[in-house]
Amino acid sequence: MADIEIDAPETNRLLLGNEAIARGALEAGIGFATAYPGTPSSEIMGSLAPIAKKMGIYAEWSVNEMVAFEAAAAASLANIRSISSMKANGVNVISDFLINLQMTGIGKGLVLVVCDDPGGMASSNEQDTRPIAKWLNIPLLEPSTAQECKDMTKWAFDLSEELGMVCMVRSVIYLSHTRGNVRLDKLPKKKKEAYFADIYDLDNPRQSKFTCGMQFHSYKQSEELLKKFSKASEKCESSPFNCYRGPDKAKLLIITSGICWTYSIEAVKILNLQDKVGILKLGVTWPLPEEFIRKYLERSQKILFVEEIAPFVERSVMEFVANLPPDRSRPALYGKRSGHVRAWGEQSLDLVIQSIASVMGILYQSRQSRSAEYSQKVREISQTLPNRPLTFCPGCPHRASFWAIKNTLQLDGRNGFVTGDIGCTAMGMISPGSFQVRTYYAMGGGVGIASGFGHLGQFGFTQPVIAVCGDSTFFHASIPGLINGIWNQSNFILAILDNDATAMTGFQPHPGTGVKATGELGEKVSIEALCRSLGVNVEVCDPFDIKKTTATLLKIMAGVGGTQVVIMRRECELVRARRDRKKSYQMYVEPNRCIGEACGCNRLCTRIFSCPGLVWDREVGKAKIDDAVCAGCGLCADICPQGAIIREAA
Amino acid sequence: MEGKASKELFKDVMDTGLCTLCGGCTDGCPYLVFYNGRIVRLHQCTLSEGQCYQYCPRTYTDLNAISQQVFGVPYEESEIGIVREIFLARSLDAEIQEKGQDGGTVTTLLSVALAEGIIDGVVETKMDDDKIPHGFIARKRKELLACAGVSYEPSPVLEALNRLSKDSTEKVGIVGLPCHVACVSKMKTYPPENRVNIGNMKLVIGLFCGWTLAHGFHQFLQERFDLSQAIKFDIPHHPAHTFDVYTKSDKRSVELDEIKQYINKACTYCLDMTAEFADISVGSGRAMFRGWNTVIVRTKVGTELMEIAKANHALETQPIPIESIENLRHAALNKKKKTLNHIIAKTGDIEDLLYLGLSRHLADKLLGMRN
Repeated sequence: MADIEIDAPETNRLLLGNEAIARGALEAGIGFATAYPGTPSSEIMGSLAPIAKKMGIYAEWSVNEMVAFEAAAAASLANIRSISSMKANGVNVISDFLINLQMTGIGKGLVLVVCDDPGGMASSNEQDTRPIAKWLNIPLLEPSTAQECKDMTKWAFDLSEELGMVCMVRSVIYLSHTRGNVRLDKLPKKKKEAYFADIYDLDNPRQSKFTCGMQFHSYKQSEELLKKFSKASEKCESSPFNCYRGPDKAKLLIITSGICWTYSIEAVKILNLQDKVGILKLGVTWPLPEEFIRKYLERSQKILFVEEIAPFVERSVMEFVANLPPDRSRPALYGKRSGHVRAWGEQSLDLVIQSIASVMGILYQSRQSRSAEYSQKVREISQTLPNRPLTFCPGCPHRASFWAIKNTLQLDGRNGFVTGDIGCTAMGMISPGSFQVRTYYAMGGGVGIASGFGHLGQFGFTQPVIAVCGDSTFFHASIPGLINGIWNQSNFILAILDNDATAMTGFQPHPGTGVKATGELGEKVSIEALCRSLGVNVEVCDPFDIKKTTATLLKIMAGVGGTQVVIMRRECELVRARRDRKKSYQMYVEPNRCIGEACGCNRLCTRIFSCPGLVWDREVGKAKIDDAVCAGCGLCADICPQGAIIREAA
Repeated sequence: MEGKASKELFKDVMDTGLCTLCGGCTDGCPYLVFYNGRIVRLHQCTLSEGQCYQYCPRTYTDLNAISQQVFGVPYEESEIGIVREIFLARSLDAEIQEKGQDGGTVTTLLSVALAEGIIDGVVETKMDDDKIPHGFIARKRKELLACAGVSYEPSPVLEALNRLSKDSTEKVGIVGLPCHVACVSKMKTYPPENRVNIGNMKLVIGLFCGWTLAHGFHQFLQERFDLSQAIKFDIPHHPAHTFDVYTKSDKRSVELDEIKQYINKACTYCLDMTAEFADISVGSGRAMFRGWNTVIVRTKVGTELMEIAKANHALETQPIPIESIENLRHAALNKKKKTLNHIIAKTGDIEDLLYLGLSRHLADKLLGMRN
């Protein structure tokens, strides 16, 4: 991690976008930071938590985004600047609280940082969170560079405080995970004191302003919010983060925001169109800085919108253009709606070049595609690259869990299936988990949906249902679904694949680990004690004991029905390996015993079990251990039907 | 042999109701297992040719090739197969008499074979505490005794055979129903690769069989009896008409008519009542000779074992009356005719006898035989 807490104003540091956001928060003088892990946002808390104590900040990994944001709001109400960061999906989780918080307003600066994942490379979906800002009247800032990540985050606190409402900073995966030069400012030294002032007053009893509805009436609060928000428009008009680069009269005006601004600049340069194309960068995309835009609208007859993911600015400008006085000429608008810009996934330099070229009517061929020799070489090389499908890590306990689950469902024979959840366990929906996960939506969705399937008996539904979630996901959002199942007497098994880590996002701790964000020990929350307190039967097993785990699942499945919990517990292999720094076993394949593709095996280990530590030696027709990859967990020795995989003490 | 594997096995055998649940396809590889009265495919096997398909007694079975392999003579029309000797026998071993089903002949023969070192282990059916039959290898007399008695449910006894390592040098014997014996005979005729060395199969004892009770029968029993307390099941011969469940203290019965619905439909495709490819085939002495077994010795191996057993005073024998033999022939032929007619009715073509590798000529002969 970069030393983001360094007190060295006017010096440069190479920071990740996310680290720059954290630095911006430090420069803004935060006292409170919360987050729930989620790619691509995790490094914000990841860089704040280790220095929190030193910097006099409270920092926590919260149980979920809602709690994280609520806790951050509390600090704001008690006069402490606070930040809460999350991935796009987290905003869905906090939306109810956020809507209501907008009604009351806040105390000290409160900044919500959201890192979107265009393309959804590390998410269940690709989701543009910006529309929520428009929906709820939240000022929305979109940094384009690491420097802006810092500067805009810092400014967001001032803006938030001035407007008395939460401000949203929106990054995207490419920006969050790219390093850039950041010129540092000073760190404030002011002492912070927390006090919640709106307390009950004997002489002046009244409803707290941090409450919604009742005597305040929701419509009045709405009116108040709109009034406050109109001030936001003024502020955003004059923001230094909005800028124009280009000729006075442009053949084409690009309106862009975020990381797409950098693509646009480079694309125009590559196309050598600097004197024909102007680029209008919006640092604030909501409220739309209309006056600022109006000035530049007149400079071109054609406007191209370049942004990720949804046509958010495009639609806002479109509304604005529609509102122009009737005598004004209207530019032609190009973007996602017209098909000139790809309407999904990440943008890239190539894509933006293509978009500009198509609007400008230019035929553009990249240097690479112009060279036949180059293209040929690329084709050749790409064929030599190994296929790297997504998979569970070597030694991952989930591979064993899904192996047991698959065997159980096949043996049971009633067409049972798995409802999945977010996290490493989601790999159960693809080949390393034998495609066992048949539904997969949102945090906690697995158990919720299972509780529904489990009530279909009256319609002839007899399929067993296993909801699978990880330990962190269990704490995040699975508990209400479990209680719902117990209370309403649904029929399903909740399998909690407890690997003692929030592994998918980088081993952040959670309540079950008992370790806090800052590394200090906290209170450990026992999953089984919690479940048992709900009156549900809980079995705990080690997924590496595949036989016993399968037998346990079969027994429960054939049993009395109702809602049942199985905890499949084994520490994440990566966590274990980092701590122990050695393999548990030294593995090797006895080639004389391995029958390879022959009947009796047909490459069970490399074809079905598919641990990356096992490789198929095509030349000799045998499996072998890739010692550099093998974690030495020893599980494959139990899978091999010929006893050809040998496990020796390491 | 046909180039087919587990996927086709399910298509051709399980899905068409031909599977006898013998276990011949299970546990020889990690893909197929027997569980709760079903053959289960755990994973996708991509082979185009598999031994699961090859050795299944309900995939193409060349009866002539097997007969040549086991007896050195062609397969011919007959009711009860090749007979060297046929007689009645019963155990002289008090411990076995107590536990055995009828005369205890099978357990006694196996016990002798183990004691004499003819075999090192017996591939057997063993019922677990809930009386679910599994394949098991008995290597000691004590283990053998624990396997005594009949389960009327299909037993995947061959799973235990398939579990034996290909490198094992252990000499084994097997006790099985005609379908088990057919599977083993196919293995003898076309020795398997990467699984049990079938050359080590030194003794095959077949049991007479009309049908087994499957597909829900176990649940039927579970709902009516505390199976953990059951020590013996029996269907006594005519004129009795019951299925009896013995506990240490009493005997309870259900009417045979009540359980007939559970007869495995696959058994109606079976041509073989007396395990015609075994070394020795054993059935009950029927009503006339309760407490005795009907024994057919078919091979030299069978004769030799029988001689030793008699010499050791482990067994006593008596001649079987001609009319008893005629009754047996009558019943066996009846089954063959019924089966052939059933199959022909299904395929609509006497040339297409499903899995049966039987010439048109022989099929006609069997159908034309007088009862």
